[in-house]
Amino acid sequence: MEKLIEILEELNPDVDYENCENLVDGRYLDSLTILSLISEIEDNFGVVIPTVEIIPDNFNSAKKIWALITKLEEE
Amino acid sequence: MSYFDVIYFLAFLPGLIIIYNLLPKKIKPFILLLASFAFFFTYSKWLIIFILLSSLSIYLAGLTMQKIDKEKKDAIKDLEIEEKKIIKAKYLNKKKIVLIITALFNIAFLFYFKYLGFFKGIINSLLKIFNINGNLKIIHHLAPIGISFYTLSAISYLIDVYHEKYECENNYFKILLYLIFFPTLVEGPITRYNEVRDTLFTGNKTTYKSFCFGYQRILYGLFKKIVIADRLNIFVKIIFTDYMHFSGPIIFLGAIFYTILLYMEFSGTMDIVIGSAEIFGIIIPENFKQPFFSKNISEFWSRWHITLGLWFKDYIFYPVSLSKGVKKITSKIKELFGPRTSSLFMGAIALFAVWSLNGLWHGAGYQFLFFGYYHFILILLGNIFEPLIVKICHKLKINRENFLYKLIRIIKTCLLIFIGELFFRANSLTSGIEMMKRIITNFTFKGFNHAVLTLGLDIKDYIIITLSLIFILVISILKEKNIEVRESLSKKHIVIRWACYYALILSIIVFGAYGEGYVPVEPIYADF
Repeated sequence: MEKLIEILEELNPDVDYENCENLVDGRYLDSLTILSLISEIEDNFGVVIPTVEIIPDNFNSAKKIWALITKLEEE
Repeated sequence: MSYFDVIYFLAFLPGLIIIYNLLPKKIKPFILLLASFAFFFTYSKWLIIFILLSSLSIYLAGLTMQKIDKEKKDAIKDLEIEEKKIIKAKYLNKKKIVLIITALFNIAFLFYFKYLGFFKGIINSLLKIFNINGNLKIIHHLAPIGISFYTLSAISYLIDVYHEKYECENNYFKILLYLIFFPTLVEGPITRYNEVRDTLFTGNKTTYKSFCFGYQRILYGLFKKIVIADRLNIFVKIIFTDYMHFSGPIIFLGAIFYTILLYMEFSGTMDIVIGSAEIFGIIIPENFKQPFFSKNISEFWSRWHITLGLWFKDYIFYPVSLSKGVKKITSKIKELFGPRTSSLFMGAIALFAVWSLNGLWHGAGYQFLFFGYYHFILILLGNIFEPLIVKICHKLKINRENFLYKLIRIIKTCLLIFIGELFFRANSLTSGIEMMKRIITNFTFKGFNHAVLTLGLDIKDYIIITLSLIFILVISILKEKNIEVRESLSKKHIVIRWACYYALILSIIVFGAYGEGYVPVEPIYADF
């Protein structure tokens, strides 16, 4: 989780990732930032994020992104 | 039968509401299906065969993919991880073949009806350039109504089932109703199966609230179309046909009026569509979210024709940008320039694909392709310069949340949108370029006042348009502030409530632009 927060802060440092629950809906993460984020996650966690998982609900908070990574690691 | 015909909202819809509510819950969706058949038939008669074929193809493909998934699950039981991966890949390939064949089958119909003539024209031009004898005959076919919309819905179902986003549907009639449902048939929104299935097939009763809310929404849509869009139509028609006789400011005013007309016609239709479905307890996704409050082009497209934008985002943008080929190209850029530049490059390739298809989806013509690439360039420039602008604002201590700063950004976005819509409405790409040229080279206000008052609109019309736009603006501001206008109104005293309904009905009857001197706007998006 710490590594994920680190990646997110590198992409957009002006967000409180511990508490923010609307990263996509609040436009803190735009399409391009999501692309960077996916690329970083895939490199750092060794998972492949299928396009079908790229929905606002999976990216709206750091906790949800972490849950997605955990789910993909288990598959 | 159009959504704006009196026969639709005073005969077809009330008749259907009565029959629908008299019948048992289980039969209700079938009545909607029959009504949708009748609705389709009024537009496209026997071309209904094509929507039957599309729905049947995705229904069978869904079942086949589900069968493959079941076989896969049985085959990988008790296997080691590595073996599982190999078997999974084998079954995935099988599913991919089903997906590709069915998608191509559906796209082939769309191509035949919409694009064959355009591409034959391109081939003929190439033959001419290279002095080769021969000319392909161009025949314009009458397309089944809503083919551009229901084909995208069909493809979304296929891809979602392929990705196991939800289980496939085992009842063919449900798939058919999903594609042919009369409110969404002609101009969308492009719905997703999992979004509408919960309310579309349950046979919900019409309640007093759903009836009132539905008809309120329909009235609001009628107001936008009949009072504003139809009133602006003559002015817009004259400007776009005889632009060579007008000076720059008048042509630009024509582009502004066309943008307003397009919004009022399309969003007004969506109000009728969503309101009609609401009467039957069916929830349809919104297609507009106050687009003219957007601060940049990218945001505009997330507020305008939302379901089309989301379709392109989910099924073109992400799959292209995260495809193996694009990832391979951008991995080197990432090493050299960092993740932001590589994702910018990834995004640019995907955006190019999205806007090429978006332009073509709107129509088979060079002006539509130009319209697509115009927005591609604007969004790309926005992406490139956004970090720089943020830095400059930070240095100059400009608060980006400041009202004035936001207002300037909104005005800038609107101006760019007006230019885009000018090309979109122009009779051809050449006409669009000529109109832009005149705006720049012939920018004189000489004769402006005379032209404004003699092109089908008089002082009375301008007063009605201004007051109507203020009314729409107030509603939009309330919506932007998350105030649900209909909910608030429903809590008011019955006298106030009915006074509002009557005021809206009377304003449509009294101020509606119909009869002599007016030409109603044809359903613009129905042609796409």
